[in-house]
Amino acid sequence: MIKVVFFTLLALIFFYIIWVNNVFAPHETYEMPMQYKKIVEDERYVKEGKQLFEQNCQACHSVRYDAVYPSAVQANPNLKALQEQYGKVLPKDVYESTFYTELSQLKESLGKVPPDLSTMYIARGKEYLFNFILEPQKVIPGTSMPPVMAGRPEDTAKIISYLRSVSEPPPSEKAKRTLMGIVTIAYLIIMGILLWVWRGKILKRMGLH
Amino acid sequence: MLGRIGRWIDERAHISGLWQSQMVDYKVPKNLTFPYAFGIMALVAFAIQIISGIFLTMYYQPNVHTAFDSVNYTIMKEVPFMWLIRQVHAAGANFFLAIVYLHIFTGIYYNAYKKPRELTWIVGFFIYFVLLMTALSGYLLPWGQLSYWGMVVTTEIPTAIPGALGETISVWMKGGYELGQITLGRFFGLHIWLLPLILLGLVGFHLYLVRAAGISNPEGVEIDKKKEGVPFHPYITLKEGAYVMGYLAVFFFFVFFYMHHFLPPDNFEPANPFKTPPHIAPEWYLLGFYTIFRSIPSKFLGFIAFNLVLLLLLLLPFLDFSPYRSARRRPLFFVMYIVLIISAMALTILGTMPPTPTNAMLGLVFTAGLFSFFLSLPIISIVEWGWYKARGGDKT
Repeated sequence: MIKVVFFTLLALIFFYIIWVNNVFAPHETYEMPMQYKKIVEDERYVKEGKQLFEQNCQACHSVRYDAVYPSAVQANPNLKALQEQYGKVLPKDVYESTFYTELSQLKESLGKVPPDLSTMYIARGKEYLFNFILEPQKVIPGTSMPPVMAGRPEDTAKIISYLRSVSEPPPSEKAKRTLMGIVTIAYLIIMGILLWVWRGKILKRMGLH
Repeated sequence: MLGRIGRWIDERAHISGLWQSQMVDYKVPKNLTFPYAFGIMALVAFAIQIISGIFLTMYYQPNVHTAFDSVNYTIMKEVPFMWLIRQVHAAGANFFLAIVYLHIFTGIYYNAYKKPRELTWIVGFFIYFVLLMTALSGYLLPWGQLSYWGMVVTTEIPTAIPGALGETISVWMKGGYELGQITLGRFFGLHIWLLPLILLGLVGFHLYLVRAAGISNPEGVEIDKKKEGVPFHPYITLKEGAYVMGYLAVFFFFVFFYMHHFLPPDNFEPANPFKTPPHIAPEWYLLGFYTIFRSIPSKFLGFIAFNLVLLLLLLLPFLDFSPYRSARRRPLFFVMYIVLIISAMALTILGTMPPTPTNAMLGLVFTAGLFSFFLSLPIISIVEWGWYKARGGDKT
């Protein structure tokens, strides 16, 4: 019995560290006040966040998965024809080769093509984005990102809320996820219990218990 | 009507006879404990990987320009509920390997590798090895930063072999001097065709061997199955069926409620050959080997050391020739087994930590712990042969 408890605990602790919370690995932590975290999670701010993004960020950045391209690209008359051919979200190679001039100009003035932000929310997390957008030089010294949002934490949070909505599965499917999860797990547990009870009955009949 | 169709098929295919002879008349030890269910759980995990993988292949594009978008846009956002399938495949890979590790360590604990099951163990070892290759090749496919740089580091490992041979192997793995379309193409082919086919064959053979050589049992004493065994069906099928349901419940809990848990955030940035990410470490199932490789100051010796661990694992049935089996009856073996699992776990966790001199030192200590398990086995065996003779050949 002691051995069972020992080995079970050992396995649980190990997988907890490896999978859930690795207390040994170094973590970079960035502060973010609770009120702004709430804005990021709130579905209502997505639309406003998109508008803010268009006003403040779109000059340089794209959100390709939402068919939002840098202003110079957006102004190119070829864009519409290409979108009719390939769909709103252009394949990366088509996008990069067709708008080579526009992207090169951005690269010339900023040192590199500003990254596409479609998956940045998952890649960096809201705390990092919040700190970086508000004070870029503090997080990456020497970055060519200008402090466009300095002193506007609430608007920054709304923009991050928009980026969150782009990187996640559609909200309608996300809402179903919890229900699907509960139903699936409940089904498996009930089936497990039924099998166990059935086994008990058979064992009795066989005279093994 | 259904009954008639069933009888019609059965008259021709003799399925009921097969079922009777293979499932009901097949007797297994009565005292199989919970860890014996890891085998069937691994089989279920394998099936989940194949099914979810087939669906992912329908939308994935093995092209350096579009691979990242096909995974993160087409699969994650565009096709309804495909993100769920990706989630199942990613979490499934982690669970599969976790279960396989538990299965291996259970096998070691109960000495399930000893005669007549040496071949079962050897085939099992190759399943484990091919599984690692499959996981490694699959990790490249999303073409994110970690995929790319993880593979850069992996394909560097063979260069530890001195001379032109290491370099040649490295170039052969990559299909060139740098990672690119050719690398992605061949790893895609390996991941979806060759390696799963080899795995299917090996798993089939492993299962056949489990039947041919019989299941071991926790007490380590061979039983007279005709008298003492219980029918595989319904005794084991229902018991392990219930365990499998429990396993799936835990698995789907992670799938539904810990989204992104098995998808490392750094891999949501597209592969960029000009920007090395700050932390490149392999996935947890390779971290033990990685720590051994990293802790030993000489690259070549590190390479030899982690390959030696694999070789010793393969040769386990021949290192341990004691007349006794199962850690329940072998106190010396039990102590060394604890050393083994503590070392393996510590090496894995050390792999996630920065490579400081202290951690390198600890890495060496636990590497020594790992080797001490394997190297102590022949000594323990000789001691136990002494006990066996002193007891007049009593195995209990």
